[in-house]
Amino acid sequence: MSNTLLESSNQWIKSDLEDSKRTLQRHKLADRIATVVMSLAALLLVLVLLSVISILLYKGLSTISWKFLTSAGTFTEAGGGIGPQIFVSVYILFLSLLFTTPLGVGAAIYLAEYAKPGRLTTAIRFSTETLASVPSIVFGIFGAIVFLTIMGLGYSVLSGALTLTLLNLPLMVRIAEDAIRAVPNTYREASLALAGTQWETIRKIILPAALPGIITAIVLTGGRIIGETAPLILTTGTTISPNAQYSLNPFQTGETLAVHIWVLKIVGVPGLKDSQAVADGTAAVLLLIVLIVNIGAAYLSQRLQKNQRGAR
Amino acid sequence: MTQLQQNDNLLTKSLPNPELNGDLSPEIEARNFNFYYNYGHFKALNNINLTVPRHKISAFIGSSGCGKSTFLRAINRMHDRTPGTSSEGQLLFEGQDINAITDTTDLRKRVGMIFQQPAPFPLSIFDNVAYGMRLEAQRVPKSEIADRVEQALRAAVLWKEVHDKLDQSGLALSGGQQQRLCIARAIAVEPAVLLMDEPCAALDPIATLKIEDLIRELSQNYTILIVTHNMEQASRVSDFTAFFTIDENRAGTLAEYGPTKQIFTKPRDRRTEDYITGRFG
Repeated sequence: MSNTLLESSNQWIKSDLEDSKRTLQRHKLADRIATVVMSLAALLLVLVLLSVISILLYKGLSTISWKFLTSAGTFTEAGGGIGPQIFVSVYILFLSLLFTTPLGVGAAIYLAEYAKPGRLTTAIRFSTETLASVPSIVFGIFGAIVFLTIMGLGYSVLSGALTLTLLNLPLMVRIAEDAIRAVPNTYREASLALAGTQWETIRKIILPAALPGIITAIVLTGGRIIGETAPLILTTGTTISPNAQYSLNPFQTGETLAVHIWVLKIVGVPGLKDSQAVADGTAAVLLLIVLIVNIGAAYLSQRLQKNQRGAR
Repeated sequence: MTQLQQNDNLLTKSLPNPELNGDLSPEIEARNFNFYYNYGHFKALNNINLTVPRHKISAFIGSSGCGKSTFLRAINRMHDRTPGTSSEGQLLFEGQDINAITDTTDLRKRVGMIFQQPAPFPLSIFDNVAYGMRLEAQRVPKSEIADRVEQALRAAVLWKEVHDKLDQSGLALSGGQQQRLCIARAIAVEPAVLLMDEPCAALDPIATLKIEDLIRELSQNYTILIVTHNMEQASRVSDFTAFFTIDENRAGTLAEYGPTKQIFTKPRDRRTEDYITGRFG
């Protein structure tokens, strides 16, 4: 009696053991498949990125020369020249970031450090989220109405920079707020407990600690400024006056690199035979600028983090 | 109701403790102090009465959620940051009602705090210790800062280990060193009181013993209040021990307060005895 009971229980244990072995094997297999799939996805991403870079550079590099980068193109001569466009791109980038960064970081500080949960905060959050999903050309129309007509700025670098500021604020606020929120609460409490005011705590501890994240926000915003076309066509224009090339006057019309590509490819320049080559060259320059800015920012933010953390 | 009265009786029996008087002048005093979270919906502290004497170490013990830390953080108004907190009764620091102070920086200049998680700022060791002295409220002349950084690091028994790397990040230190750095940072601004919220909870035993030695050393010049889950630590380090417990409404109350030796050898309250013997097996 007891023997059979023992046997049956032994068998039961055995089959249970087999079962769990099989489950384990199945899990191991699933783990391996998942690893392979994820690695392939990552590899694909790298391939896409590399092919974008190599194709654009392959097509564009032959056009790029010192003359191409520094002289102004004409509508009739082959070979092009995008010096003024580079200048306008950098100028609008600088001007727009000059507005976006303090406004965006200020709003992010308010939302992360001061705002108490309530209707006002919910309203602010909701409107930033909504603005973030509004198409850029709609901002262009808005900018054309407000800055060109109502404020009378006309087609100008300033109108464009202001329009892009509106376009980019939600993104800037969102990322900067996340960066500020990610600063450990222990820093805040330690600073306040030492008789620091809230503003001292923000200025001396929280902002420096959040700086790497804020730099990321600036870079992403900058990338969008460099690449944006639609709102700029409507607010800054598509031409650079020949007697105002490299002018710092913000009330001049302007044409950025991205808009230049649009003009060459979509609008067309009938007198220019090699507009395709000039567009390719411009695209390559655009890509290189974005790459350089990104690598520079990554280096800067890494160094900042290293300085803060220190070598262990 | 009868239970409540019984509690009150127990409290009055153990408080105020005659042995606490004599030459011990009060630094911090709670009188019928109640504390609420969540807009008065949750009472976290019920009728706390106790007197913390100057230049002594008082340990707060009790199970989790019994209000020890809540009480500690009420002393430097750390709850001001939390929406919906309020209090009743009196909490006095040097005879002044803490909750009547309009500028909390005035209070926090005199009442420093050490947290459970060592929290050096992402700054150099020097700048960490100098941080408090450079704040508007502390008004330490620039010329004094370097000397006082050294003094504070020496007082926190960290100087020997860091004197040749003051410009390195405070985050590069070990956990125990980080906590001593935080203590140096707190005493560099010369407060009267140090609040310590489980200062050794994140440290290994050797680092813990170093901090305990330091705490004993510091009690010559500072009034120290320490919240700890470690009862051996309370018995090793403190002069007085307050045992907090939870009443029938889940509010924290003070079951017993007295000289540490007495609390640990002949507690008057049965709950204290249960807790202490339960822990020590």
